[in-house]
Amino acid sequence: MVEQLSPLEPVFRAGSHGNFVDGIGVTLSEIAPGSIVQLAAWPGQEKKLMATINSVTALKLADGAGAGASSDRYAAFGFAPAKFLVTDTSEGLAATFAKEVPSAIGTVTDLSHGRTALRITGAKAEWVLAKLFAIDFSSAAFPLGSGISTTHHDIFTQIQRSGPASFDLYVFRSFARSFWKMLCHAADEVGYEVR
Amino acid sequence: MSPRRTPSGGRIDRLRTIRFTFDGTAYAGHQGDTLASALLSNGVSLFGRSFKYHRPRGVLTAGIDEPNALVTVLRGDVREPNIPATMVEIYEGLVAVSQNRFPSLAYDVSAINQLGGKFISAGFYYKTFMGPVIGPLKGTRFWMLCEKIIRRAAGLGRAGNVPDPSRYERMNAFCDVLVVGSGPAGLSAAREAATSGARVILAELDPTFGGSANWSGETIDGEPAIAWASDIVGELRDHDNVRLLKRTTVWGYYDGNTLAAIERVGDHKATPAKGAPRHRHWTIRAKNVVLASGAFERPLVFAGNDRPGVMMASAAMRYANQYGVLPGDKIVVFANNDSAYSAAATLNKAGATIVAIADLRQDVSEDCRTLARECGAELLTGHAVIATEGAKKLAGVKLAAFSIAAGVLPGNARKIEADCLIVSGGWSPTIHLASQAGARPVWDDDLQAFLPPESGNGWYGAGGFNGTFSTADAILEGFAAGRKAAGQPEVEIGTAPDIEPAALDPRPAPVFEIKANGKAFVDYQHDVTADDVRLAHLEGFVSVEHLKRYTTLGMATDQGKGSNVPGLAIMAEAVGKPIPEVGTTRFRPPYAPVSVGSLAAERFGDLKPDRLTPMHDWHLENGATMYSAGLWHRPMIYGEPGETVEQAYVREAQTTRQAAGIVDVSTLGKIAVQGPDAAEFLDRVYTNLFSTLPVGKARYGLMLREDGLVFDDGTTWRLGDNDFLMTTTTANAGKVMQHLEYFLDVVWPELRVHLTSVTDQWAGAAIGGPRAREILAACVTGTKVDNEALPFMGIVHGEIAGAPVLICRLSFSGEMAFEVYSGSGHGTHVWEALIEAGEPFGMVPYGLEALSTMRIEKGHVTGAEIDGRTSARDLHLGWMLSKKKPFIGSAMMDREGLVASGRLELVGLISLDNRPLNGGAHIVAEIDTDNPHGSLGHITAACFSPALGKYIALALVSGGKARHGKRAHVSDPLRNRFGPVEIVSHHFFDPEGKRMHG
Amino acid sequence: MLITCPYCGPRDVSEFAYQGDGNRKRPDPASTDPETWNAYVYDRLNPAGAHNEIWQHAGGCRAHLAVVRDTLTHEVSSVRFAREHGAPTHGRRKSGAKA
Repeated sequence: MVEQLSPLEPVFRAGSHGNFVDGIGVTLSEIAPGSIVQLAAWPGQEKKLMATINSVTALKLADGAGAGASSDRYAAFGFAPAKFLVTDTSEGLAATFAKEVPSAIGTVTDLSHGRTALRITGAKAEWVLAKLFAIDFSSAAFPLGSGISTTHHDIFTQIQRSGPASFDLYVFRSFARSFWKMLCHAADEVGYEVR
Repeated sequence: MSPRRTPSGGRIDRLRTIRFTFDGTAYAGHQGDTLASALLSNGVSLFGRSFKYHRPRGVLTAGIDEPNALVTVLRGDVREPNIPATMVEIYEGLVAVSQNRFPSLAYDVSAINQLGGKFISAGFYYKTFMGPVIGPLKGTRFWMLCEKIIRRAAGLGRAGNVPDPSRYERMNAFCDVLVVGSGPAGLSAAREAATSGARVILAELDPTFGGSANWSGETIDGEPAIAWASDIVGELRDHDNVRLLKRTTVWGYYDGNTLAAIERVGDHKATPAKGAPRHRHWTIRAKNVVLASGAFERPLVFAGNDRPGVMMASAAMRYANQYGVLPGDKIVVFANNDSAYSAAATLNKAGATIVAIADLRQDVSEDCRTLARECGAELLTGHAVIATEGAKKLAGVKLAAFSIAAGVLPGNARKIEADCLIVSGGWSPTIHLASQAGARPVWDDDLQAFLPPESGNGWYGAGGFNGTFSTADAILEGFAAGRKAAGQPEVEIGTAPDIEPAALDPRPAPVFEIKANGKAFVDYQHDVTADDVRLAHLEGFVSVEHLKRYTTLGMATDQGKGSNVPGLAIMAEAVGKPIPEVGTTRFRPPYAPVSVGSLAAERFGDLKPDRLTPMHDWHLENGATMYSAGLWHRPMIYGEPGETVEQAYVREAQTTRQAAGIVDVSTLGKIAVQGPDAAEFLDRVYTNLFSTLPVGKARYGLMLREDGLVFDDGTTWRLGDNDFLMTTTTANAGKVMQHLEYFLDVVWPELRVHLTSVTDQWAGAAIGGPRAREILAACVTGTKVDNEALPFMGIVHGEIAGAPVLICRLSFSGEMAFEVYSGSGHGTHVWEALIEAGEPFGMVPYGLEALSTMRIEKGHVTGAEIDGRTSARDLHLGWMLSKKKPFIGSAMMDREGLVASGRLELVGLISLDNRPLNGGAHIVAEIDTDNPHGSLGHITAACFSPALGKYIALALVSGGKARHGKRAHVSDPLRNRFGPVEIVSHHFFDPEGKRMHG
Repeated sequence: MLITCPYCGPRDVSEFAYQGDGNRKRPDPASTDPETWNAYVYDRLNPAGAHNEIWQHAGGCRAHLAVVRDTLTHEVSSVRFAREHGAPTHGRRKSGAKA
């Protein structure tokens, strides 16, 4: 297979940046999962779709808006009514789901090339993200595993909390470079490392 | 030792000296000083010149309500004007200058304005510059003539004109309780809310928490108030659930308990920390708010009340207690209430002589008499200041007997020498945020002030904000408000803390103005006098809102913090109504001036979002000139050295028509339309049928709006029974998506269709020209691309250089053409393989200009023709309107006006004078350069056509087809372009489509 | 102004796109009665007070919402999925009636 080219290529500079003399506030990285797939159920079919997600990824999603979970290989979360984003470190997840999700339950849309996945980790992750999004990132409001959809400027973003101080951000690929620059700009103050 | 610095006391760090300049003179102050306190400590009394009259002004207050001492702070070439010196923290190397003076602060030629003061009264500009009805200066011309001179003479600081290199930032925060103000009430509220576990934000506009505790000189339960406050702040710091924001002014209270604040992160530093913003704009969403914003002491209105050396009593007390600065050596006190007596006591204790206390009231409490006696002041009850003396600095005051009922009593006035006059006219609670939140203030006769209601929708008040002026009660109110805001049940309130010295009676005498000869200022910053207010009344202004606009009272940058209530009181007296009947104006955001930078934050320069196609870097590396199309960046031309834009696009288009060309079409909107009802859905939204489209084929589709006019067009590809890939124009991608989502969600929720934007999933390369098929054949594997495997509008799956691709044979250029889609991450890989494969065939990459040229030659429509006014028939697309089914727009498209004759129709134009045509130019039957009229329509797109060797254009022209073969003229007075054209069919080139069908 | 999206929770109004008067009911697509269509396409209620509106959470879950908003105070008294509840019906004008 041909490797995907990162949209960040010319602006991705590994190393420490910004005001890092007093320590690194956040670490920024591109996750580059092999697959990013959108699953959407028809009204009343949501539970069946969640069961399918469970059977393919072994991830158990709780009921309720934005519920999600992740494992070493997979991540999944709801981002809209009866709609889920599922990622896999390997390629081919869309084809797998296409076999598992009959048209009576819902649809499968491959977004592996269409979305760019970024990760921000560190003590200052909530602080940096709060500069970009009008979202309450505290653990109480945004529990581990859960996801949301929101917007920064014109950039639509889906966010999953992937750890106590770690968030995965999914943005449209065409905006990824611009968004990355904004993220780095916002992280300048706390010092950041690109990995 | 600075001349006015007290030997000890204050919260400044006397061991740390800071050097700065004001109007070029070097001064020293201490860490903790404001520019105002540092200059006062150096004996400076003249801070600025007033707005209209250029009167010398000193510093009136010690806080954000300062109307006089406005300065400009310079950082290199960057200047920030109109900052109150009371809000500027000094730092090493600070450069500040005074404003509105020429040639210097001490000698200002425009000060002559005050001699002619009568002429610059309220409404001066309206009256004077309404020019004559006729003649060379008629209408506003006279004003325009004088404006430049006046603008120079009247006004505030000069705005800067160099780019501000500072960083500004926005921040979002969420909390259960936002406490505004950190005086005793606010601290008490924050502690109570924090203890209950609520998420608390405490915002304080000053650099130190504590509010009045910093300067009251009180003890709370035996402990100095300052220590009491810092204990609580320490406690709050230990809570994980508390965020402390100092130097943060909450300036806006909006719907949904959303508040706006500005944090001055770097203004007090000589150099900002790396990456740190100068200002941070906070958007705070609070479940509940505690308003503990205190109160402003208001001036009394009397002749000469603006002379440098006149100061609010509370401000003088603050300078002494917080900054260790005495505003004068020989001080006279002038008040209508008790609070000035504690100021007098404080100043006396700090070393000043209190010469006299003039109290407007006849009866004064025993407490006050004791205080007056203790500081050795002569107490003159029933007395008023009727004038002040001195030039640029107070030298003395004139006192006269006064009665509340009769005003100044006849008799000999008495002169007293003094270098400082401290004034108290009562207190106005800082109700601005509550007012913004919609609360209607209520007039309180006892306090002679507008008080907020007890609580509002989402907020609770405490302390001075409520008109509660004793520290003990403020602490108790804070406690209760903090509990309520945190959602805690009410509890029995414990005993009040023990405050020393005991609180004085806060009720003032109902006197706002002392009428005497001379200018008595109500609004210092805008130079509005008591006479101006009365003049406005005489001229028939009745409503407070009109009064405000006519006199500009309260409309300066201090927003009338001190002047509002006195202005109202004077108006009320003139009207002969009680104050509450005259009403008050509603406060609007911002509570205090806000930097525009903090509002724009990172939204400027190259930090606006850009949309880049997967092949963006290739375009740049290969000489493309990029063009912004909305947020997208697209190649305009790939110019060769020395080529003009026209030469480049002509070469690109010509080569494409002769051999082959390739263009990046990744920006086309792409929507996955999936589900069992997808075909039915497309039948409803497109004018033509899609349910009949076989899998593996594409079809051109047209969408109308509900009103029957054309909305968008594009091809839609059927990839599976329930799986369509719709393309839209680049510009309309978002709108089409929203339009489709609306119908699915609101109108046809029964349809099982999902829509997903997949614009970014696919990289698109359109390759066209007579050699296009050979080029594909040379690089595509896994499928044939001959006419049989890939007929017109056919779709195949294959691979290019190992990457999966989807190829559809369709044409925008009119050539044999193919759109090759690959995963975006493979876009550059596939593009480069196509370029390599095309090289032997002479293929060139082409940009938007060549794309547009070829589409004009073919007469294809885009956004310029689909302009929201054209019908399908206007664009000769009537053949796409299915008669077999209803669709969006079908019911409205045949309305009378939309089928009338004479509508603007799409035609082609050929320039007959071999000169370029321009989009937007009008088409007329006969040229009349002096009186352009009689438009038949307009040009929508124009180019030089390499295929025809002529300048051509598309146009919307009345009558359209009927004019084919006729001559007309372009009329473009704006660009002075007039000339003959021939109207022809919009199909300039290969009208039968032989080339694309091959 | 905040709108509480039934899926995403309270979000700033900047995430939402106003999608028109929620009182409109689309006529039978087969109908060609110009009065009915005219009323649907062009007539809008403009009340001072509670108003049925359609908003899309364009910067979030993208669902269309049936919102009742007070045009005088911005108070949002009800937000429901338009898909499940359709356009709210209170205060609707008779279809085809002149303004």
